Amino acid sequence: MVTEEEIEHVSKLMKIEVDDHKEYVDKVHAMIDYFDILDSAGVESEEISMPEISISELREDEHIPFDEKLIEKLNHYKGTYVRAPKMSS
Amino acid sequence: MNLKISALDYVQEVKTGNISAEDFVSKTLEQIQNVDDKLHAFLSVNDKAVDQAREIDKKIKSGQKVGDCFGMPISIKDNMCIKDSKTTCASKMLEDFVAPYDATVISKLKQQDAIFVGKVNMDEFAMGLTTEFSAYGPSKNPWNIDCVPGGSSGGSAVSVSAFECVASLGSDTGGSVRNPASFCSTVGYKPTYGLISRYGLISYANSIEQIGPLTRTVKDTAFMLNMIAGLDPNDNTTIDNQNQDYLSNIESGIEGKKIGIIKEMMGEGIDPAVLSATKDAISKLESLGAICEEISLDMVKYSVAAYYTITATEAGSNLARYDNLRYGYDFPLEGYEFNSYISKARRNFGPEVTRRMIIGGFVPSAGHAGKYFLKALKVKSKLTKEINNAFQKFDFLIAPTVPILPFKIGEKIDDPVSLFLVDINTVTANLTGKPAISIPYAISNGLPIGIQLIADSNNDKSLLQAAYALEQTVSLPEVPI
Amino acid sequence: MTMIGLEIHCQLTNLNSKLFCSCKANYREFEINENICPICMGLPGSLPRLNQEAIKKATIIAMALNCSTPEKIAFFRKNYFYPDSPKNFQTTQLNIYGDTSVGGSGSIMVGDKKIRITRIQLEEDPGRLIYEGSSSKNQITLVDYNRAGTPLVEIVTEPDFETPKEVRDFLNILSDILTNLGVADPSLEGAMRADANVSIEGGKKVEIKNIGSFHDLEKATHFEITRQESLHARDIEIIQETRHWDDKRKITVSSRSKEEELDYRYFLEGDIPWIKMTSDIHEKLKSQMPESISSKKDRYVSKYNIPAQVADVLSSDKYYSDLFEESHTESNAKEVANIITTELMGLVDTREKREASKFTGKHLKELADSIQSGKISRNSSKNALHEILKTGKDLSTVISELDLGNVSDESELSAIITQVISEESQAVEQAKSNPQTINFLVGKVMQKTKGKADPVLTLELLKKQIGI
Repeated sequence: MVTEEEIEHVSKLMKIEVDDHKEYVDKVHAMIDYFDILDSAGVESEEISMPEISISELREDEHIPFDEKLIEKLNHYKGTYVRAPKMSS
Repeated sequence: MNLKISALDYVQEVKTGNISAEDFVSKTLEQIQNVDDKLHAFLSVNDKAVDQAREIDKKIKSGQKVGDCFGMPISIKDNMCIKDSKTTCASKMLEDFVAPYDATVISKLKQQDAIFVGKVNMDEFAMGLTTEFSAYGPSKNPWNIDCVPGGSSGGSAVSVSAFECVASLGSDTGGSVRNPASFCSTVGYKPTYGLISRYGLISYANSIEQIGPLTRTVKDTAFMLNMIAGLDPNDNTTIDNQNQDYLSNIESGIEGKKIGIIKEMMGEGIDPAVLSATKDAISKLESLGAICEEISLDMVKYSVAAYYTITATEAGSNLARYDNLRYGYDFPLEGYEFNSYISKARRNFGPEVTRRMIIGGFVPSAGHAGKYFLKALKVKSKLTKEINNAFQKFDFLIAPTVPILPFKIGEKIDDPVSLFLVDINTVTANLTGKPAISIPYAISNGLPIGIQLIADSNNDKSLLQAAYALEQTVSLPEVPI
Repeated sequence: MTMIGLEIHCQLTNLNSKLFCSCKANYREFEINENICPICMGLPGSLPRLNQEAIKKATIIAMALNCSTPEKIAFFRKNYFYPDSPKNFQTTQLNIYGDTSVGGSGSIMVGDKKIRITRIQLEEDPGRLIYEGSSSKNQITLVDYNRAGTPLVEIVTEPDFETPKEVRDFLNILSDILTNLGVADPSLEGAMRADANVSIEGGKKVEIKNIGSFHDLEKATHFEITRQESLHARDIEIIQETRHWDDKRKITVSSRSKEEELDYRYFLEGDIPWIKMTSDIHEKLKSQMPESISSKKDRYVSKYNIPAQVADVLSSDKYYSDLFEESHTESNAKEVANIITTELMGLVDTREKREASKFTGKHLKELADSIQSGKISRNSSKNALHEILKTGKDLSTVISELDLGNVSDESELSAIITQVISEESQAVEQAKSNPQTINFLVGKVMQKTKGKADPVLTLELLKKQIGI
């Protein structure tokens, strides 16, 4: 059961303002309900596996500056700062 | 000027001087003008394409070395970065984003003198199966404009199918290349995970997605792979394919090969026309000398749930960077505090992306991870084991790409779970990292049906051989545009 | 029973590049947002490129702290929104699927006490926030991402500390170890930060963040212990919470509880495969590790007979031990050690002074040898040292320029002695009856020679001339 409160809580966590919680609740509810099927998969004892790489294949420690003034292509303010909204705490 | 030619034929024609790149690209842009109002494959068109083609013609005339593409017009799904071009992922959140660098696949194709004729439509941030979730309007299926072209690489499939380009690059996270390829009757390829660099592909679910070509023929796909596959230091997840040549020996046939028919992908809910086309394909393969037998992959039943759980989690994280502070769209931050600004700014995500992100916040959260996210990862592991076992016995696996025919626009948009299940035949290859291809096989009442072949990891070359063999058994009608 | 644990973050600024891209690891010399690229800015489509050397350096740190080092290392995402974090997640390490951070279960000795190291992990530093504007109403937040992606090693200890002083001692030892390994420069501003957790009487743990310096850390832990003890004495419950150090008021203050609600949704970083650390990689790293501080100290004491306290100073400061290694021989080791710890130390006690100093190991060797051979007196050697530090000139040049050479020519010395004897007839008479007082006359000869007379020879000749 996914409640409207839980949707509100998660949308705060994900920093998305959601107007009509009810609309989302129904659809999200349906989607998450569908995931309940995972409970019958019988996979409790499975191990997680991941691809591997050896340390020699990793990047060498060299300083190579990016070939352009990247900040000029992004939002900038008062010279080359990036501006953020005021912080609350 | 005949636009209805394959990539290899195009290259041959230009090489021999029968056509010029400039003429062909010019005609291609005309075609886009003619049909795209109706089909809406393109989000942006490269107005310098003809000039670029002219330069390539000059190169050819002067005897300089020319790249393998010879000015071939290619469309690019709008989630891949082309330097100094807008890259929107069909989202309002990236309305003004101009990429400051080229994706690796783009650099490679540029080096081969390809011409990017435009960026094509997709479901927003690649989340969807029909291209209906694009913030800039849906694309239409050239075979029937009331129907969806599939997704999320809908624009790619439409542009190839409607001769608005010779080939396209899309991305496939759960079927997003194969599904629209099947719906629009083109070849669609998802390589072994790690074969093609994701550097410059805007991430949706980075642990399983791959860039993949959409082309008119299987040989064209091999041709594309030759140019874009391979180890990339910019992407630590790429593998060394030893500079494999995917075109050579592609005609070597399928005699003696063992093909497993995936039981769970032919079951309940399959459209009779799709089932019959699949059975037909199987008997054609048998007549070519393949040995076909049913196999069960039990975990397929849970693959869709696992897929959406994992991808929502990764998407929730991959899309967190879109807070509109460093780039995005015009929304001044005066008067806002940090949390309220970002939350408002991110309202510019469409409803499907918003839903996925809410799910993506929910399923890996501390209280729920065990039930959903961690379990999904285990399903992924077990499915991988199952399919690895299958490949002990079989060389390839076969199933229809999509169990249903292309459906009407708007038909499934309000029923998310029913939409999920359109993916049931394709997500397995993504979850397990295996290469898979959709080959156009049949047209039923004017609607395309594609057949899917899957191979074991790193067997992309032999997969293309099998696909070629199957492709040669059919001759399909032309798209009615 | 007070229990204090630490969480220390140390920048690996000795690396050339950041953890996931080729921008510079040490960001301090750049203009605002000059040291950035698509990767550390988390631009759409960018992917991390893990720095090989960062793994090696972090593993070496783990080994130096006696940690176990796993065969496979993994990275995770810690998801939270903050403007200094361009991806709005931090790529870091965790031990969810077994031990996958660079090191764990280690320890170091602080005096007689063993401090256990829980784990060591690699992660990226975020950018910097700068606040402008006088009031909270018109506050403007500016962000500089030069630091975003700088490699950090996080060292977490068990709550084994009982006093703020132990904490301070530990941090000094840790700084020395890290400097000695050549992996970091803790003296750089902001290069090493620490958070603490404090509990008393086995009660709830309180975390203290935002501590600017080690000095503040000692103050903060001291304050927090006092605060908790006073609550405890009044039977008031100590809440488990996060507090931050308010440097102006010199107190810890409760942080908004928002942090407790945060759910980081940790999961594996799909863009970075697990890194295989085989035993031969570990062996190779171990063999490349510089000699440890304690090993150096033991060697100085046992091989060169250098007093323990002197050896302590020499070995724990890389600057001194480097000088020592460059300049010592079997015969002059003790003298070299002595020069460093008595005369040199006061002249190079800051980073700036060390950078400006022109005094090299070669100079030091010459100086020590010259003192031993009597070419220059210990007194004069001080002047010589000052001059060389400033100018870098070699010893013989300095000796002749400043006329510091020992007067050891017998005839020259005899002449001066004769003069002194004639001037100090009373002292001479005294010396005849009480030979101890001859030092007064030695002193006078020293005066006349500006301290350059060979003291042994002077005494001998004085005695001869006086006839004792």
